Amino acid sequence: MSNKIGFFVCHCGINISSTVDIKKLLEYAKTLDGVVISKDYKYMCSDVGANLIKDSIKKYKLDSVVIACCSPRMHEHTFRSVVEAGGVNAFNLEIANIREQCSWAHDDKNLATEKAKSLIRGAIAKAKLLEPLATSKIKVTQKALVIGGGIAGIQTALDIAEEGHKVYLVEKSPSIGGRMAQLDKTFPTLDCSSCILTPKMMEVANHPNIELLSYSEVVGIDGSIGNYNVKVKKKARYVNQDKCTGCGDCVAACRLKDRIANEFDEGIGKRSAIYIPFPQAVPLKCTIDAETCLMLTRGKCGTGPLCVEACESNAIDFKQKDEEVELNVGVIVVATGYDLLDPKSLYEYGYTRSHDVITSLQMERLISSSGPTKGEIVRPSNGEKPKSITYILCVGSRDETQCTWCCRIGCMSALKHVYLLKEKLGDDVEINICYTDIRSFGKGYEEFYRKIRGMKTNFFRGRPSEVRKSGDNLTIDIFDTTTNKLFEINTELVVLIPALVSRADAADFSRILRISQSADGFYLEAHPKLRPIDTFTGGIFIAGCCQAPKDIQDSVAQASGAAARAANILSKKELEAEPLISCVDEDLCSGCTTCISVCSYNAIEMVKDGDKSHAKVNEALCMGCGLCVATCPSGAMQQYGFKDKQLKPMIEETV
Amino acid sequence: MKSYVLYPGCVMPTEQYAYEMSIREVFPILDIKLVDLKGFSCCGEPIKSVNQMLSLALSARNIALAEKEGLDIFAPCPMCHLALSESKRILDSDPKMNEKINKFLLDEGLSYSGKSDIVNTLDLLYDIIGIENIKKHVKKPLKDLKVATHYGCHLIRPSEIGRPDDSENPQKMEKILEAIDAKPLDYPEKLDCCGALLTTNLPESALTKTGQKLQKVQEHGFDAFIDTCPWCHRQYDAKQIKAGETVAIKLEVPVLYLTQLLGLSFGISNEKLGLDLNLSPVNKLIIGGK
Repeated sequence: MSNKIGFFVCHCGINISSTVDIKKLLEYAKTLDGVVISKDYKYMCSDVGANLIKDSIKKYKLDSVVIACCSPRMHEHTFRSVVEAGGVNAFNLEIANIREQCSWAHDDKNLATEKAKSLIRGAIAKAKLLEPLATSKIKVTQKALVIGGGIAGIQTALDIAEEGHKVYLVEKSPSIGGRMAQLDKTFPTLDCSSCILTPKMMEVANHPNIELLSYSEVVGIDGSIGNYNVKVKKKARYVNQDKCTGCGDCVAACRLKDRIANEFDEGIGKRSAIYIPFPQAVPLKCTIDAETCLMLTRGKCGTGPLCVEACESNAIDFKQKDEEVELNVGVIVVATGYDLLDPKSLYEYGYTRSHDVITSLQMERLISSSGPTKGEIVRPSNGEKPKSITYILCVGSRDETQCTWCCRIGCMSALKHVYLLKEKLGDDVEINICYTDIRSFGKGYEEFYRKIRGMKTNFFRGRPSEVRKSGDNLTIDIFDTTTNKLFEINTELVVLIPALVSRADAADFSRILRISQSADGFYLEAHPKLRPIDTFTGGIFIAGCCQAPKDIQDSVAQASGAAARAANILSKKELEAEPLISCVDEDLCSGCTTCISVCSYNAIEMVKDGDKSHAKVNEALCMGCGLCVATCPSGAMQQYGFKDKQLKPMIEETV
Repeated sequence: MKSYVLYPGCVMPTEQYAYEMSIREVFPILDIKLVDLKGFSCCGEPIKSVNQMLSLALSARNIALAEKEGLDIFAPCPMCHLALSESKRILDSDPKMNEKINKFLLDEGLSYSGKSDIVNTLDLLYDIIGIENIKKHVKKPLKDLKVATHYGCHLIRPSEIGRPDDSENPQKMEKILEAIDAKPLDYPEKLDCCGALLTTNLPESALTKTGQKLQKVQEHGFDAFIDTCPWCHRQYDAKQIKAGETVAIKLEVPVLYLTQLLGLSFGISNEKLGLDLNLSPVNKLIIGGK
């Protein structure tokens, strides 16, 4: 019970004082029970304001402090430190938000002042009942886990490793590199994608602080910020990694050579059952595809497996099994990337009706000199060079029946293709672009768009109603909204730019990670503006396209940001745990387990106590969300700092 | 045996008799009893653009008549089916409109409660009767008859109110045709408009749409053109010669209702299926591997 409360009110420049009568508040506060001192200052968050609070605590021997100012979201942290420095427990502080919830919301000074009075009345009523709380310490495992080896994961891993911390980089496919490795050039500078990516991949492979777990998947996560326990499944490659030299002799020898659709080439090229996804792969090791390999599916491969015969280092091992390893880390950065919307779901665009309708990533593989056609642009139907190519943008993007959002890379990648195709096929190749709006928002993008507009390209503003076969060619009906005319485009190759969607397993994986998804399926950031890299789960950060569609430059920037956020934790040996968590009144708890069912953090368990059982809160796991408190039917669940006995008098005084 | 009230609409009983004849032959074989009711009015669709309230009231009135019998409605005409389905959706989701319309109906001692379902030829055959049941009754399989399907717009759009088949890639008619051993093939113009709705304002354009589609169907080498909508059918069947003139070509495409072709495969005679009422050259068809 506090008897000596200090009341402080901030003018916030004129943000508060122009609408709330500060003098009246000061006089009013003095009349309230328990208030021994009532002071104001223009900026309470400044050094002068802080000293005013600290000095007053000492001079008047205050045991609680009430500050009427902006939202606790802004400065609660600041003022907790101030109060603590003054000698009062940091949690014997109550903030009355008279800015966002009063001065900013109202015009009438008299009414606003009356409202401010009731807000401080409530705050003082609660302040009288505040209890000092102690923060506990959590030891930090100073290692990081990065999930996903695309450009975002690579950048995060390198940045954390450079900070001097151990990093585990887990990649589910046989090689790191991700989507960027599939690209030929990057917009708007037309840098060769693999030329700028490969050095970073090599750096990952050679960095002493990075342990790469490729062809591996995270299957389980326990623990909390500072101490995560992660289970990783290392999938069997059926090739001994230590022995394999990556020479590729086995790939050339395989009986199924050039017979299996190559995922890396988006199904356009073919590979063997034993394969290296692309020449710059890291690690440069072979992997046997267990789904297609004759030995692994039928137990027999002709007169004997040719790969084994070809391999001089005896690396092939059909008996290899999946392995599970456990990692202990303090932080996790999720960089699992995106999927392209399957254009089959938009039947009208003809992806299932014609081989000459392809996706933007398939076109990237055709353009790439290491792709299935060695960089020759050909029509999949007949292998001939197309004389006319038509791009359809926003396939499923900005579409209320599919994906409502913008993919943010479609326009620029189509413009980039125009440049590269004109370079490869000559200026005479006809290129049509069916767009909704050209969004060239990034640095140098608008300039690039201007350049392409000068390159004999037809822009149609509209969405085609249908792509259909017409003889050997394709025709597209499109209503152009700039000329209000219906056009029929006859073309030889159609490239669809599909929407970017969350990974197919994003929902399952979010449950493993205990992080949230937004309505669009991408992982949800803690705050769209001020905490765009954090998740609601402490110590788990997100980077790259798993958070939302973005281009390479934004992915890399966010990745470095995630590394910095991770380093905030990794650089400390210990962390302070927030004490505003749930607690149980064991006598009231009936053991109904409702709280367990609503807790997203697995922070509550049932413990036996004689012949009855009651809930118990794991203080390290509880995030203080308050859900269990609100759901508890008997009132046994309480939250420190927000107990019923503190809130009820506050409400009574306020209203 | 399941019973349905047959809602004939206006085109079928006044002009497109063959559709009704084939329906009355085929469905009893498939264990569907068709019940005729007195007192049906227009479905409401033709006046929707002029008086939406009246259109709603007319639809609701028709549904209410069936509800009184405790039966679901079978509306073979896709336009009627759309009008009734759309009204049902509005009345089921908008309590105020429901109350208003029910006040109208009270004059005749009728009421709308929403308990009757509304089905079309396609969902009745595919979803309710089922492919396996259809197969059981095939006596003369249509050995590899190359058929082009035409769904028409009302059967598949607007998708948000729930139509018998997908708006971009409808396949139920194909599945039904495969069940009787016909060979439905995809063709680029499959979803093209028949032109019927342009008839009053732009009769030439209407016929051109019809002609363009049939021309492609003829070029692709189809043996027959199959539809389920009396409006579309009128364009492709009765107006085929005129439509041919708009594209300067002699069109000779046998156009049949899905129910007529089903009837043929069930061994029902040409006369009973109203085949002599078709104006397109249906006599070109050889059914049953003769």
